Amino acid sequence: MKLGVILTESKRTEDTFERLQADKLSVVLAGNGIYHAVIKENGNTSKVLDKAADFYVLTEDLESRGFTSADLVDAKIKQVNYDGLVDLIMDEHDKFVWL
Amino acid sequence: MAEAKELKQLFVVQRPPYKSENPKLALTHALASQTAEIYLDDGETVLPTIAFVGDGVLNALNNQKSMDHYGISSNENHVQMTLLIDLRVLVCKEDLEARGIDAGRLADGSALGADMSIEVVPFSEIQKEMEAADQLLFF
Repeated sequence: MKLGVILTESKRTEDTFERLQADKLSVVLAGNGIYHAVIKENGNTSKVLDKAADFYVLTEDLESRGFTSADLVDAKIKQVNYDGLVDLIMDEHDKFVWL
Repeated sequence: MAEAKELKQLFVVQRPPYKSENPKLALTHALASQTAEIYLDDGETVLPTIAFVGDGVLNALNNQKSMDHYGISSNENHVQMTLLIDLRVLVCKEDLEARGIDAGRLADGSALGADMSIEVVPFSEIQKEMEAADQLLFF
């Protein structure tokens, strides 16, 4: 299964995300989920980024919150805009879920 | 002559921006305080203060582009407006540092002509403001 996950929460309070498995897994950090891509809490990057997955951050939500690509805490996080997100959903994954 | 009475309100914002309207609501209430005074008796005033704690400090960042992407005014702009009407805006130093955010990333009120600036203060000072407030509102 090629699975995409849109993550919009800045805090993780349940373990669904941690247990998800897929042959190809992509995580799109959107809304307040973008904080996983730019904030090091007490010097530590978010545990969300520990997941074996391709990571994307939604440019519009990143910039709306005052951040840019220069703030990304890990080079593995790629920026994607709304158009790019549609391509990810329609072309590159079987299923997409919203956590 | 009635004795002058000042009602101190402290709006404590603890949630990040945009997921909900909650933080902006706090700022809007504080901004509306001057309008509210027309409903008060002579000599009565309202003095609101805003304090950002926890993830709430993320509301006070500069360079927010929500107008470009969402078509809505930014929380940064609301913070600047709050400073413009000479209200104190406090940001918790510890929570800012815990998120690795430099104070230089905070909204600049002078861009709109405000004389006031955001004050980065330890939580202990916000605690004192909580104790001094007549009304304490968490958002």
